[in-house]
Amino acid sequence: MSISTSIWVWIAALLTLMVYSFLYKDNPFYRLAEHIFMGLSLGYTLTILWYNYIIPRVYEPLFLPPHQWSLIFPILLGLMTFGIFSKKYNWLIKYPLAFYVGGYAGLRIPLLLQSWIIRQVEASFLTPDKFTSVYSSINAILIFVGLVTTLIYFYFSKKREHGFGAAANVGIIFIMVAFGAAFGYTVMARISLLIGRMQFLIQEWLGIM
Amino acid sequence: MIFLLILSFSISAKDTPDDAGGSITINAYNIPEGTQRILLYRLAGGDTIYEEVGLISIFKGEYDDASVVDGMEYLYRGKAITEDRAYVAEIKEYISSSPEWFNKSRTSVLLLLILFWVVVLIYIQLAKKNPEGLFIRRLPPLEAMDEAVGRATEMGKPVLYVPGIEYITDAGTLASITILEMVGKKVAEYDTRIINPHFDPIVMTIAQETLKTAFSEAGRPDAFNKDDVFYLTSEQFGFAAGVDGIMHREKPGAIFLQGYFYAESLILAETGYSIGAIQIAGTNATTQLPFFVAACDYVLLGEEMFAASAYISREPRLLGSIKGADLVKSALLILIGAGVIFGTIAFIADNAGNPTYMEIFNKILEFLARAAS
Amino acid sequence: MKKRIPLVITFITGFIIIVSFFIPHRPFGQLETETLIWYAIIFAFTLIIGVDSLVRLHVRQIRRRKKGWWYSIVFFAGFFYCLTIGIISIIRTPNPFQPGTAFFYGYETILIPLQSTMFALLAFFVASASYRAFRARNIDATLLLIAAVIVMLGRVPAGYKLWHRLPAIADWIFDVLQIGAMRGILIGVALGAVAMSLRLILGIERTYLS
Repeated sequence: MSISTSIWVWIAALLTLMVYSFLYKDNPFYRLAEHIFMGLSLGYTLTILWYNYIIPRVYEPLFLPPHQWSLIFPILLGLMTFGIFSKKYNWLIKYPLAFYVGGYAGLRIPLLLQSWIIRQVEASFLTPDKFTSVYSSINAILIFVGLVTTLIYFYFSKKREHGFGAAANVGIIFIMVAFGAAFGYTVMARISLLIGRMQFLIQEWLGIM
Repeated sequence: MIFLLILSFSISAKDTPDDAGGSITINAYNIPEGTQRILLYRLAGGDTIYEEVGLISIFKGEYDDASVVDGMEYLYRGKAITEDRAYVAEIKEYISSSPEWFNKSRTSVLLLLILFWVVVLIYIQLAKKNPEGLFIRRLPPLEAMDEAVGRATEMGKPVLYVPGIEYITDAGTLASITILEMVGKKVAEYDTRIINPHFDPIVMTIAQETLKTAFSEAGRPDAFNKDDVFYLTSEQFGFAAGVDGIMHREKPGAIFLQGYFYAESLILAETGYSIGAIQIAGTNATTQLPFFVAACDYVLLGEEMFAASAYISREPRLLGSIKGADLVKSALLILIGAGVIFGTIAFIADNAGNPTYMEIFNKILEFLARAAS
Repeated sequence: MKKRIPLVITFITGFIIIVSFFIPHRPFGQLETETLIWYAIIFAFTLIIGVDSLVRLHVRQIRRRKKGWWYSIVFFAGFFYCLTIGIISIIRTPNPFQPGTAFFYGYETILIPLQSTMFALLAFFVASASYRAFRARNIDATLLLIAAVIVMLGRVPAGYKLWHRLPAIADWIFDVLQIGAMRGILIGVALGAVAMSLRLILGIERTYLS
């Protein structure tokens, strides 16, 4: 066993243990680690802000050739967000917000229609190549039934009565099975994260194994 | 090397379709066996010497020449080189590129969008005329909101509202803000404290204004505390650590986890469970739904989040848009069903020696696939 | 007026962006990329608002000597440390993320272990969530339980040892039963998000302007 002599390994190990102490209950060590984490991440955010945003997207395009004077418009909108600091002018933030929200709504609509809806519908068509054997035929039909009954489950404007209600009930069965499968699929991935941290503590810090 | 003009190896050129110009697509046909590379040469109108511009992919047999100028005319020559000879093909007619005014590959998206717009607008108008005629089914998580806030009030504990870790640009975050408004009104009516940490500063500013309005509408403007709506950090696990700390220190009686979450969803939900809070979750992150279903008392599944504002407010225009979305869902189901029936007919007819239906079916699939790619 | 103009801006912006999706011709084809650059700039300003909010919160904690106020000092210590090494690294080498810089070293040795440890907490939480979910209160929970257990066991060697067909059944549940429902949920979420976005553009949904 050869315990690490690096101060940084010790700091990382102690912070790890402080965070894990949370599993027992909230305690001063966890709170210390939590506040260090938040302080560091804020400093990190500001450094990212300067390096990835202010320098390449504001300073260089404006002040270095070729000057992109069109960027004055988003800079003005950005400055308008500072209206939030004033009681008299805090309505100014509505303009950049409107631009932001409207633009992203416009970006989102066709992209969702294209990649999430049309693509899924296209993949759902039962083509002859899906019926090459009895097994693949049953699978294709099960996928189709799962899709249709799930969509019926998410109907809001129709009462769940008679056949419609029965189809919705079949839909929730498929949904619960899907959730269980997704849950079970990620368990091993989560365990492997823990193994990674344990390896760091046991091998790098304590030098055991 | 022996240069041989063989008619079988050929190339064609066309203006790249559905683009903003500046590109010509060259296709190679009947690529000789054993070809190691296919060189592409270009002659601009007015020049006398061909210049090499790139290599046509042997596997795809296609190359997009994106270094052309719109309106200028070009000729192309392809040279397929094998181990012992070179095959040359030329295009005799000048070709030029130009930008398109409409991306034809996205026609199906446009049709679906127009259908959506028309249906939603029609139902909004119908809803305005007959608001009582619109039905929306029960959503237990939204009905439990009252119970959750009431329980927190009885226990003398605050309500914690976490709006996810995405930016205001995410639809789930926007839906979360509308739910926050409803929760805010309830909290104001019950005279309970609401704690609202944020991942995105813009969402924080909107939430502050939303809650201020909610408290005013409930007749309790003085009860709103701006300090309880704050920015925490834009780092995923830093945010989770901070919210966990808040849960343990403030011990909220009710926790709302509404918005887009990533892996930290289970950390938040489990910590909330451990302090005995009633938890109502809702997310459009399909990968996190299983964890919320396993760990929370009530969950709004994906699309149900977007119906929340219509459900609570019962505003005719919102109900109309929900009905419109349901109708588009029906249209998609009919489309899928029709596709299954037509595909079956096409398959049977093809086996019986009549390939026409199968050709039409394949064209429909291609039409959809072009939009989806 | 203060609400009407923003609504008009939302409508015009949203409509132009939607139209530009279908028109490759300049200037429409480039609008999407340009607006994303503009949004990144606006986002940078809003981060400053967030920093201000958080700094004010902790200054208030310290001033009012609220319970646990000294943690806010720890917060500022971490903040100024990271900011200082960030500034020094930018001055010395323009890229603070370059291996060898103090900023990169601090990021690697302190921030990443903290992130990884928080992430690794999921192993414990998934176990506790599984235990609770698997008490099968109703038929839905039972289905979730059975599917999860089969897929969990099917992905490890122990599952194969238990029953050699278990991995195949786990794969079938994941590749067949799960797909239809997930497609339906995805389509539903997309439809809901599109409907919400349409309401925003049309000015029916206005919470963001309150």
